[in-house]
Amino acid sequence: MSNPEALAAQAAHQELIEQLDIHSIHKSFRNPHWRPNQRRNKNIKAILGDASRKEASVIATPQDNSGAVTPLQDNDGLSTSGASTPAAPSSSGSTSLQPNLAQASRSLSKLVLEKTLSAPTRPPNGVSSAPTATYTNIESAPSLAPLKHYCDVTGLPAPYMDPKTRIRYHNREVFAMIRTLPQGVGEQFLEARGAHTVLK
Amino acid sequence: MAPSAIEETVNRREAWKHLPPPTVYPVKEAKFDKYLPPQLDGRERALAQPDGQAAIVIDNGSSTVRAGWSFEDKPRLAIPPIMSKYRDRKAGKTFSFAGQDCYADTTARGHIRNAFEAGSGIVSSWDVVEHVLDHVFIKLGMNGVEGGIDMPIVMTEAVANLPYSRKTMSEMLFECYNAPSIVYGIDSLFSYRHNRGKTGLVVSSSYSATHLIPVYDSKALLSQAIRLNWGGWHAAEYLQKLIRLKYYTGFPGKLNSSQAENMVRDFCYVSVDYDQEVARFMDWTGLEDRERIIQYPYTEEVIVQKTEEELARIAERKKESGRRLQEQAAKMRLERLMKKEQELEYYKDVQRRIVDQNKKETKRLLDEAEVKDEAGLERMIRELEKSIKKARTKDLGGEQEEEQAAPDFSLLDVPDDQLDEAGIKQKRQQRLLKSNHDARARAKAEKEAEKARVAEEARLDEERRVNDLEGWLEEKRQARLAKLAQIKDRDRLKADLGNRKSLASQIRMKNIANLASDGPSGTGSRKRRRGGDDDDFGADDADWGVYRSVAMGANKGDSDDEDGEGGEEDLEAAVRALETDLLEYDQTFEYDQTLDAQKDWSKSLLHAFRYGPRPFDPASPAETHRLHLNVERIRVPEVLFQPTAIAGVDQAGIVEIAGDILTQRLPALGFAAGATDDFLRDVFLTGGNVLFEGFDERLRRGLTALLPAGAPLSLRRADDAVLDAWRGAAGWAGTEEARKARVSREEWLEKGGEYLKEHDLGNAFA
Repeated sequence: MSNPEALAAQAAHQELIEQLDIHSIHKSFRNPHWRPNQRRNKNIKAILGDASRKEASVIATPQDNSGAVTPLQDNDGLSTSGASTPAAPSSSGSTSLQPNLAQASRSLSKLVLEKTLSAPTRPPNGVSSAPTATYTNIESAPSLAPLKHYCDVTGLPAPYMDPKTRIRYHNREVFAMIRTLPQGVGEQFLEARGAHTVLK
Repeated sequence: MAPSAIEETVNRREAWKHLPPPTVYPVKEAKFDKYLPPQLDGRERALAQPDGQAAIVIDNGSSTVRAGWSFEDKPRLAIPPIMSKYRDRKAGKTFSFAGQDCYADTTARGHIRNAFEAGSGIVSSWDVVEHVLDHVFIKLGMNGVEGGIDMPIVMTEAVANLPYSRKTMSEMLFECYNAPSIVYGIDSLFSYRHNRGKTGLVVSSSYSATHLIPVYDSKALLSQAIRLNWGGWHAAEYLQKLIRLKYYTGFPGKLNSSQAENMVRDFCYVSVDYDQEVARFMDWTGLEDRERIIQYPYTEEVIVQKTEEELARIAERKKESGRRLQEQAAKMRLERLMKKEQELEYYKDVQRRIVDQNKKETKRLLDEAEVKDEAGLERMIRELEKSIKKARTKDLGGEQEEEQAAPDFSLLDVPDDQLDEAGIKQKRQQRLLKSNHDARARAKAEKEAEKARVAEEARLDEERRVNDLEGWLEEKRQARLAKLAQIKDRDRLKADLGNRKSLASQIRMKNIANLASDGPSGTGSRKRRRGGDDDDFGADDADWGVYRSVAMGANKGDSDDEDGEGGEEDLEAAVRALETDLLEYDQTFEYDQTLDAQKDWSKSLLHAFRYGPRPFDPASPAETHRLHLNVERIRVPEVLFQPTAIAGVDQAGIVEIAGDILTQRLPALGFAAGATDDFLRDVFLTGGNVLFEGFDERLRRGLTALLPAGAPLSLRRADDAVLDAWRGAAGWAGTEEARKARVSREEWLEKGGEYLKEHDLGNAFA
């Protein structure tokens, strides 16, 4: 550290850092009285959880259940399959015992009905009445195509599966290697394919 | 095995020598570039624009935040949405950086935080967003403007952004930065607009997710949009995982996600026909062209070649020091010798003096000399004499063997009753000596006999070979097969012992239980009943084998290591010996049939997978610090098409999604067949993750297979899949529609935090 070159480099670096630093710059464009909410950082799970809780409480209040907002309210009753409306009597009442479940089934039946009812009548550009896209419902559904099998080690086509570790493998040599894997590594191979065992 | 195949493997083992030297790519990662001064000119130009035209456009992407002015054709800034803040205790100062600046300092690098939740387009850390926006506004020359940002802001957001995220962002922009108005839009739609799209299917694969959005007459049908949770971030993460598993025995280099991102970008491509290509990917032919080698930094071990002169000097120094040591030792020996001689002198003197003394005086003298009795004194003198003699001979160059050569066993033949007590003692000692001596002689004889036997065997073997070559060879072949079977059995047993439920383990447990129980068990019980304690365990040497079998399983590692490993070596060595014989005398036996050849690297798929078509030298640091990418090159991007089969993402691939939208959802919405064709005519690709070579072709093939024959399918890529989102937003920002969609501060205050005006390129109000 004592040689002048290193010292100079260090000084230059320090200067660069001071130059890059935006902490010490006075930012006139910021509102000096801005105090953010301490708990504004939330992950997606928390945000979705809060939203669904809020929604559930909205549904539980009767005035919000007016026909204007939920035009297909009574369609819950139309559904002949009892399974889809497990909370049908309570959802028309104000006190819902299982708000989440009721909500889920209601929105599901609403979706189905809207799709079937509106399809023939609506002109092609009438999009406004379609169910709104939310972060959760635009997610792609699971694939219906038959699943191909690939070797977990090499990625080559895998006709076999090791019954002990459940790792798919390409040929005898890979199998021999799988059998010599140390404890726990096999699970990591499965994890890359999302097929590992999750202990809860 | 067909002769041609054998030939091929032989060639393979040699062929690599004709390959060109491997092309090695250095590892790349995100780095600090240079200091970017605030750009004040932008704001001046913005103020000169006609009223309401100018806006700050921010493409708030999860990989890169791009920001600039709406009237320019490219963003001024492109920074990753990261910040780093730490306190330097020595300087007593807090530093904070945003964007690439975080990479400038080691400490800063250690404190990097990302604004977005990993692998999603949703902000999870608003402090980081705030920092990044601070940075953006400073660099855009907004610092110095009192009271806030006085320009409208156009910002992109995720498809179906969460209301909470939008609310928090608006709150920050209005409250903290005092912006006059904000409008949000979806990045891929901006990109589509920029590329003059009207009706079509937008396929946007970006860093955090892949979206497919049908657009009809410039209006997004968001209700039919579908998201696949896979993007550039996931691809990099997946590649990192694969590399870790590929070199699970330990890769010395340090792999981070930024490096993996660069590898995905530089080396991966979408296979046009995945199943065909992956099946042939590891073929030896052309593997060197298909693989990509990435070299990690390493330090070469420097072996300093010493010159002749230096070596001579070192040898001289060694000799010198050796001599010095010898001298020292000799001196010490001499001193010891002198001390012993003095002692001997003293004891002899004592002996002389006690000769004619009475008992009492003798006792006093002996006590003085610290000796028990006269016999003791005599022994002591004898011993001293002996050791002095020994030391003398040693000093002279020492031949003390003649002493050992003829031990004295004279007393052994004399019966006990003719001996006094001391004699008996001596006799016992002699007997001991004699047995020792005999045993040694016996061992020597045995060794010689063994040697003779081996020589005789070799001679007989030779004789047999000469007389009956065919029979001899057959015998060798059988022996080799037997050994191979033994090796197999041993390996199986070893593998079985790993399994608690296997027969081998069960037998072992039973053995342990039997050994541990003192109580009668099995056959033992009958013996016990028959009479007394006649446990004959150990009568037969083979009985002890049970301990061996038990210990083998207990810890194959340590105590029995030499045993286990030794046996293993023996088997393999025996096979090797047999094979050398066969190679020498059997015409039909080729090198490729040997055990070594079977295990040769050129036969190993895993070797090709990890180290490519060249041999691997584990001692070379350059080679151990290399990553070989082969199947990964197509495996990683393939996840977009087969998310479940490859990466275990339980979602449909993009071909399936696109097919669903085009053939199910749109017709269900009431679009006539002719109208859905309009979507087909313009399948539009945008986002950084569609830049893979072959992406368009693969999607085209996949869709052609799904669609009716003759469907007018047409794909196109954005002119600039990465920047067009920002450009589209900039171009749109000044339009009438955009101005209508702006949410002003007043409106926001009045109508609430989640308030949003819907427009064609943005999310719906949820």
